[in-house]
Amino acid sequence: MLARIGLEPGDEEFYAGQLSGILEHIDRLQQLDTEDIPPTAQVVEIASRLREDEPRPSLTQEEALANAPAAVNGSFRVPSIQEET
Amino acid sequence: MTDDLTQLTIKEASRLLRLGSISAADLVTAHVQRIERLDQHVKAFLRFTPEVWEKQADEADRRLRQGDAPPLCGIPLAVKDVLCVRGVETTAGSQILKGFRPPYTATAVARLFEAGAVMLGVTNCDEFAMGSSTENSGYFPTRNPWDLERVPGGSSGGSAAAVAAGEAMIALGSDTGGSIRQPAALCGVVGMKPTYGRVSRYGLIAFASSLDQIGPFARSVDDAAITLSLMSGLDPLDATSSDRAGMEVLNNFGAGVKGMRLGVPREYYDVKGIEPGVKSAIDAALAVLRTQGAEVVEVSLPHTDYGLAAYYIIAPAECSSNLARFDGVRYGMSEVDAPNITEQYLETRRKGFGSEVRRRVMLGTYALSSGYYDAYYLKAQKVRTLIKRDFDEAFKQCDAIVSATSPTVAFPIGSKTQNPLSMYLCDVLTLGGNLAGLPGISVPCGTSHGLPVGLQVLGPQWGENVVLRVARSYEEASGVKTQVADVV
Repeated sequence: MLARIGLEPGDEEFYAGQLSGILEHIDRLQQLDTEDIPPTAQVVEIASRLREDEPRPSLTQEEALANAPAAVNGSFRVPSIQEET
Repeated sequence: MTDDLTQLTIKEASRLLRLGSISAADLVTAHVQRIERLDQHVKAFLRFTPEVWEKQADEADRRLRQGDAPPLCGIPLAVKDVLCVRGVETTAGSQILKGFRPPYTATAVARLFEAGAVMLGVTNCDEFAMGSSTENSGYFPTRNPWDLERVPGGSSGGSAAAVAAGEAMIALGSDTGGSIRQPAALCGVVGMKPTYGRVSRYGLIAFASSLDQIGPFARSVDDAAITLSLMSGLDPLDATSSDRAGMEVLNNFGAGVKGMRLGVPREYYDVKGIEPGVKSAIDAALAVLRTQGAEVVEVSLPHTDYGLAAYYIIAPAECSSNLARFDGVRYGMSEVDAPNITEQYLETRRKGFGSEVRRRVMLGTYALSSGYYDAYYLKAQKVRTLIKRDFDEAFKQCDAIVSATSPTVAFPIGSKTQNPLSMYLCDVLTLGGNLAGLPGISVPCGTSHGLPVGLQVLGPQWGENVVLRVARSYEEASGVKTQVADVV
């Protein structure tokens, strides 16, 4: 549910079987003692760069909406997120 | 005559173009005719871009006539379906992006366009670059030009197959765990993954952002080197791109291997599942490099056995986050008439994503979820440190690391699709390079049972010139030329 992917009947068993096989392999990481090891999130050392805070051209509204599955009044159309009362 | 033009390298074609013996239009026409004849069998391309190639070939011929031709003037290029090209349908091999026309062009592609390359079309790949066979494409599988019943490797299988079949002179791919090097090996062409940060990722449809790099496929080490040098360098639109000059990848790369120390990791040399024919091709390649004056030493990468496990947490975790943007709102497939927003997400993503993508998004979401984060994602990032340290230690004892690129040659279509873990093992020799951010190349080194074998060379970060030097020396001394497959 967190993944926001719908499942069809039978999918649950199919993916559960495959994912538990993969997780079983992944569990070997627990054999390693990593208590004092720092995590790597960024693998190369690149200094953070700041850019000048200057305005520059961006997409026009038309370009931004060009790929929209549903657009209305210059906006993306989505289902209502609040119940009607 | 026209088919002969599809066997050339950039160097050879550029000479003929500059002499005026052929035009860019001739070169493009020769490739288009070959595509028309062969791609119905190989299926390397998802779509063709005549409106782009006609304009670019005209421009190339104009510049050739004026005598100010840029380095890739008129060179036919294929682009993997994960790199955005303004106005050209780009779908990451996925149904969820069917019809998407990007409003901008990826920096790597734009730089090759500026260098004069002519885009022929968009190549097939595993959906969102997740796979090692191109069978996970949301459209159709690509076939290996050397044996149409076998896979071309993946995920950049279409790009590798296009170059191998003489349908494009160079191609672009992306490599997250081996997706350039492994298909290059299986199709018998040169494929290179640069150091993380060498090439801007702007306009690359992201899979795993801390691992992804864009790189070239080519028919010679020289061609790969020149293409890479032209697409490299700082891009203000990618904060992880390096300000190192692209041309440094060419430094001294023709100097040969005399006096170099080449490390063979014992964990790679004897990796589980390596085929005897692959092993003997690698042994022969090492003998060639020794003859050229290199010293071959044994090194160790002790955490190799944990690499796949760490990779299969980090890559799915990052992909689950990156693919959250496919929500059916701004672009792509959508269940716009769903009763509520949650149903819209669930149905759009169920219908739009194929089973491998769904599997990885679920795995990644799980690994990042509250209560499991420390045990999975954080643990994997720590193991990533150990793997990087393994390489740091190894590079104290050698200048470059050599191994097979893939433990096997191209395998039959369908043979690994039922067991995801068996497919993941295809990348066991390549994904360490991504976890450690290293440059790596695969260069053809003979055949086993008539199918191509690839020699992988890995270098320290920013050591593209070292990697290219070893590969070029091997290519030159071995006489193993990248062949164009006859196909049919």
